Amino acid sequence: MKLRRGALRAALALLLLLLPPAGAVEPISLGLAIAGAAASALTGFISYPRLYCYFRECCLHRHDQRAAAALQETLDKRLFGQHLVSKVVVKAVRGFLNNTNAKKPLALSLHGWTGTGKNFVSKIVAESIYKKGLQSKYVHQFVATLHFPHAHSINLYKDQLQSWIRGNVSICPRSLFIFDEMDKMHAGLIDSIKPFLDYYELLDGVSYRQAIFIFLSNAGAEKITEVALDFWRNGRTREDIQLTDIQNALSVSVFNNKNSGFWHSTLIDKNLIDYFIPFLPLEYKHVKMCVRVEVESRGYAVDEDILTRIADEMTYFPREERIYSDKGCKTVDAKLDYYYDF
Amino acid sequence: MKLLNAALIFILVPTPTPAFDPLSVSVVVGGAAVAWHLLSSDSWLKCRFQECCNRNSTLNYTALKAQLDSRLFGQHLAKDVVLKAVLGFSNNPSPKKPLMLSLHGWAGTGKNFLSQILAEHVHPAGLRSKFVHLFLATLHFPHHDQVKLYKEQLQNWIRGNVSACPSSVFIFDEMDKMHPGVIDAIKPFLDYYEEVDGVSYRKAIFIFLSNAGGDLINKAALDFWTSGKRREDIQLKDLEPLLSLGVFNNKNSGLWHSSIIDRNLIDYFVPFLPLEHRHVKMCVRAEMAARGYAVDEDIVQAVADEMTYFPKEQKIYSDKGCKTVQAKLDIHEDLVMGDTRARG
Repeated sequence: MKLRRGALRAALALLLLLLPPAGAVEPISLGLAIAGAAASALTGFISYPRLYCYFRECCLHRHDQRAAAALQETLDKRLFGQHLVSKVVVKAVRGFLNNTNAKKPLALSLHGWTGTGKNFVSKIVAESIYKKGLQSKYVHQFVATLHFPHAHSINLYKDQLQSWIRGNVSICPRSLFIFDEMDKMHAGLIDSIKPFLDYYELLDGVSYRQAIFIFLSNAGAEKITEVALDFWRNGRTREDIQLTDIQNALSVSVFNNKNSGFWHSTLIDKNLIDYFIPFLPLEYKHVKMCVRVEVESRGYAVDEDILTRIADEMTYFPREERIYSDKGCKTVDAKLDYYYDF
Repeated sequence: MKLLNAALIFILVPTPTPAFDPLSVSVVVGGAAVAWHLLSSDSWLKCRFQECCNRNSTLNYTALKAQLDSRLFGQHLAKDVVLKAVLGFSNNPSPKKPLMLSLHGWAGTGKNFLSQILAEHVHPAGLRSKFVHLFLATLHFPHHDQVKLYKEQLQNWIRGNVSACPSSVFIFDEMDKMHPGVIDAIKPFLDYYEEVDGVSYRKAIFIFLSNAGGDLINKAALDFWTSGKRREDIQLKDLEPLLSLGVFNNKNSGLWHSSIIDRNLIDYFVPFLPLEHRHVKMCVRAEMAARGYAVDEDIVQAVADEMTYFPKEQKIYSDKGCKTVQAKLDIHEDLVMGDTRARG
């Protein structure tokens, strides 16, 4: 009985306490408040990155584990004759993506003969990091002869380029910038982006440390071919060529070459390029591999005869030895159309 | 009568009370208090969420010394000078002029790094702080035909920020690329004035970074090495007069014939010595520790050996200081990863 009375008293006291404030709570406003809370929870759930990013492209922050593996796989399957490239590019990109505290943006400089796969590699890199590859809105490609054609508007180009880079990196820190035809770019223009490549934590409130810059150029190609020819003449295999054999020679030759976009530029002066990546000229067997892949991708049956004929039609240098293809793998698909007439 | 008053109070007070809902009253009063605190400057509440300018700050000398010792390698001179300079300046309740440090040295020796550590000790948010301003010659003052505009803008910017927070820090990088005239614009703020237009600049800190004089410093360091003396024996007095003149006469230095040196307004010339092989190894070790890998001496040796050194014959000093060490570490990374997996 006592217990019951105690419980009853407690209940009565609670009721008495709750009654006055209950008068302050009004059903309509309470209902509105609950509805508002539910709506905001729903919006929060929908805008949660994982769900939203299935439908639209987002600036991703944590996708890095698969990117390097995809990159390695694609390079092994589709890039021929560049054992140095696949090694270095994969390590560089993997190390950079995994590093949560990068001190500077990644700057790769791809040098080599025409048709050896420089644009191809940059395309593969873009595709492994971004879902939409080169079509992604976070990947920006600049071609010197197209975007910066006139030497007298150099100041305008400098300003525009700086604003473009600044704007895009503030939207998405993990942006990719590809600069093609560096050997045709005005010497001073690249100096204008030097600040972004440097070891700064923040520049005007924007951090560039997660961005990736890729520079493509033909400069230094003669030097690379020299080294490759030396190896061939000494009877050593192509796969024996190490990065160190080429890297130092490249760095100096590119720096002093008046035609290289880097001529006396502070990019090399300050060692802001992380990796110089050389592309070796392609041999006969690599050209055949290119043709074979092209045939397969078009769905035709592979005819070894036609492959040999097409590879024979390409021109090779140097004159006596005739080892390396003049145009790399370019114009192969045009020749294919000629031979496969359906 | 007292009874009547009491009765009146008892009647009057309860009548408006139904209009005051206890919940809304408490919300309104609480909100007003919080808003008043947040909007007023430098209240304790505001400084918990937003950054405040610490008007009477004294630096923690031991913490700064510990940071410099553990993170900056091979710069005994720079450490000494900067510690003394900053400590003396901050402990002085009324300095006569703003503190001006001019950091000179080869690329990759740690000039930006040191200024970053310094900024962090004055304003805890470091370079991200609202009161620390970084100017790059190639980025902020790129066109030489707009020098007048830059001068005006720079003066207004400095004046505005120092009036908001007297202990602001201004870092000017790439001084060797700056147009000689631009720096003259801020000369009035750096002088021994008590106040300029009502704003006192005497508690501000100006740091100038440049590569100018780097070759002179390298030469001096090399001379010491060839004469068999230790690196730690190099004193400031061996270098300072050399530096000041070299920088003054070098057309490429942003301070060329500038009145800043003319009037001896620079308090300290801080030289950065080129880094040796062992310092590069220290950088590699620190980077590996920062990434959480176990420190493997073989990899440290391999990475340090990959760097290029000058002069050609003796190969003592690293060409790039500690730059590109991170990139080279990535190349050796699978060796490291393999190691950590084997051990862990």
